[in-house]
Amino acid sequence: MNDNTPKEQNSIPTSKVQRSAKFVKTGFKIGGNYIKHYSKKLFNPEMDKSELNEDNASDIYESLSELKGSALKVAQMLSMDKNLLPQAYTDKFSQSQYNAPPLSGPLIVQTFKKYFGKTPDKIYDKFNVRSSNAASIGQVHQAELNGKKLAVKIQYPGVGDSISSDLKLVKPFAFRMLGMSEKELDIYMREVEERLLEETDYELEVRRSIEFSTACAGLDNVVFPKYYPELSSKRIITMDWLEGKHLREFLQTNPSQQLRNTIGQALWNFYNFQQHELRAVHADPHPGNFMITSENKLGVIDFGCIKEMPEDFYYPFFSLTSTGLMDNKEETIKAFRQLEMIHPNDTPAQIEFYYSMYRQMIGLFAKPYITDHFDFGQTAFFDELYGFGEKVSKMPEFKQARGVKHFIYVNRTNFGLYNILHELKAQVRTDTFKPHVVEQFA
Amino acid sequence: MATIESIQKAYIDFVLTEGQQPKSVYIFAKKNKMAEEEFYQFFGSFNAIEQNIWTGFAVKTIAEIKTQEVWSQYSAREKALSFFYSFFELLKSSRSFVVYSVKKQQKSFSTPQTFTGIKDIFESFCNDLIVEGLESNELSERKFFSNRYKDALWVQLVFVLNFWINDNSTGFEKTDEAIERGINVTFDLFQRSPIDNLFEYGKFLAKNGGLKAKMGFGSN
Repeated sequence: MNDNTPKEQNSIPTSKVQRSAKFVKTGFKIGGNYIKHYSKKLFNPEMDKSELNEDNASDIYESLSELKGSALKVAQMLSMDKNLLPQAYTDKFSQSQYNAPPLSGPLIVQTFKKYFGKTPDKIYDKFNVRSSNAASIGQVHQAELNGKKLAVKIQYPGVGDSISSDLKLVKPFAFRMLGMSEKELDIYMREVEERLLEETDYELEVRRSIEFSTACAGLDNVVFPKYYPELSSKRIITMDWLEGKHLREFLQTNPSQQLRNTIGQALWNFYNFQQHELRAVHADPHPGNFMITSENKLGVIDFGCIKEMPEDFYYPFFSLTSTGLMDNKEETIKAFRQLEMIHPNDTPAQIEFYYSMYRQMIGLFAKPYITDHFDFGQTAFFDELYGFGEKVSKMPEFKQARGVKHFIYVNRTNFGLYNILHELKAQVRTDTFKPHVVEQFA
Repeated sequence: MATIESIQKAYIDFVLTEGQQPKSVYIFAKKNKMAEEEFYQFFGSFNAIEQNIWTGFAVKTIAEIKTQEVWSQYSAREKALSFFYSFFELLKSSRSFVVYSVKKQQKSFSTPQTFTGIKDIFESFCNDLIVEGLESNELSERKFFSNRYKDALWVQLVFVLNFWINDNSTGFEKTDEAIERGINVTFDLFQRSPIDNLFEYGKFLAKNGGLKAKMGFGSN
């Protein structure tokens, strides 16, 4: 599999049997990789596991990307949690954030005929049947209408049907790779399933995209594509084509510190305005969802994944980011209880243990909030963060399910944000949209 | 004045309402207020009408897909896919008739008369795209077999047709998947594949079979 350009893919295996077969194949391959690893190691004891990890990651990526849809989404989510995975997995998975093999042209034409009764070349002045990139549960095509360049996102048929069965199949792999307990994984999977099913509803996505881009219109240096509800349907979204560079391409141009700060600030404001003012957030901060335009503004695409934060989560969680509350042990424990990080039947010793661990954890998370500006370029903060993550992931006390389900997407959002800001090495003013806090709980 | 279309329409209406063919051309003509001989100007029998309707589906599909701008950029595989998708999209508007007409056929190994016309059209369409595919090396030239590629596609068409008749997913999405998968498998087989290598290896062994005796283990 040295071929770096993915072959055009002509079918998604959709029935459960076929998908299972795919995963079984991966399982075999991984088994094979281990055999390969250990037989090589016989002759060369120096060898470390990174080749093995790379082999495994590559096989998993290949089978996930052939499965498309929700499995690819899981791959993307896994690659967000850099601290949980060895580097090789992460690198390979990062690929899935940019490209996966496309589907056949006639199927695209067919989808249009089904929803608009017309072929794409009758709807747009120009339409490119070769997709420009994959969007995990769909693919993006370039089109033109009345001189305007458009991006047309098309969803694969049958994606909604296969999400649930897909997640069940991913489970044992996630289980093995993340080393989570089954119960913990279940909460995670259910929440993920809910979000993923929402993501297959393109009509909802168009409504939300318009809502959010209107609400965020006042933010500096953030731009959104215009959405066209009349050219969108259950499986198709038409929006303006945003011209620009992906984060990685942008970074390759060696942007100045000032420019990186501007983009970083825009990103920070975009997320914190949503979290603290809208209480609902674009929960998919992987680099593929952002563009840096030629005017050096941050372009945001894809509002498929929105996480709404209920008050009983928002207040206890974000109040912990204020020093006033964290210094008050009694109130902090109350907040932990509300967030189910401390369970009602925990022993005093357990309460003490989880209190001190979670206090450290949230203390770390809240670091950028404590001061009025923060340098995300410093590696010390991230080393501490990952180091802590690694330590925690090895502790038997954390094998069981703790914390309400809302953490999954909120953590993913914020750590995703931190990660991107780190890659940007941006220095950001963090007091632009401050969390609303309470200092006492009932 | 009757036309091919008006007779087809009246016939479809009749069989769908009555669930069977009219007892005679006389009855059918009388019901539609035309002379019996006028009917024969267009069709020799009721079966000829059905045959003509089916042929019409294929002709219409082919004409339609060829007007699509992307047509010229399509590979042979995509052209075949395009035909299948458009064909079943077109069939949707006449689903009741299609179900009636297919279910009425007796099971047999040869193509029922009703489908001989569409088979000819479809096969000549396939022939064109196969020749094109062979020329561009998209498909693999194989003695004897490449002449049979079109038969494989016809078998696919009959298969998907039956699949579609029994498909009750919304918007016949399952049929779309059956097409995407089925056609791709078929074209994967048309391409150069390990089978060719295996075959050539077999040929090599057969030609050089004499070696076996000389290299044989322990015979002398």
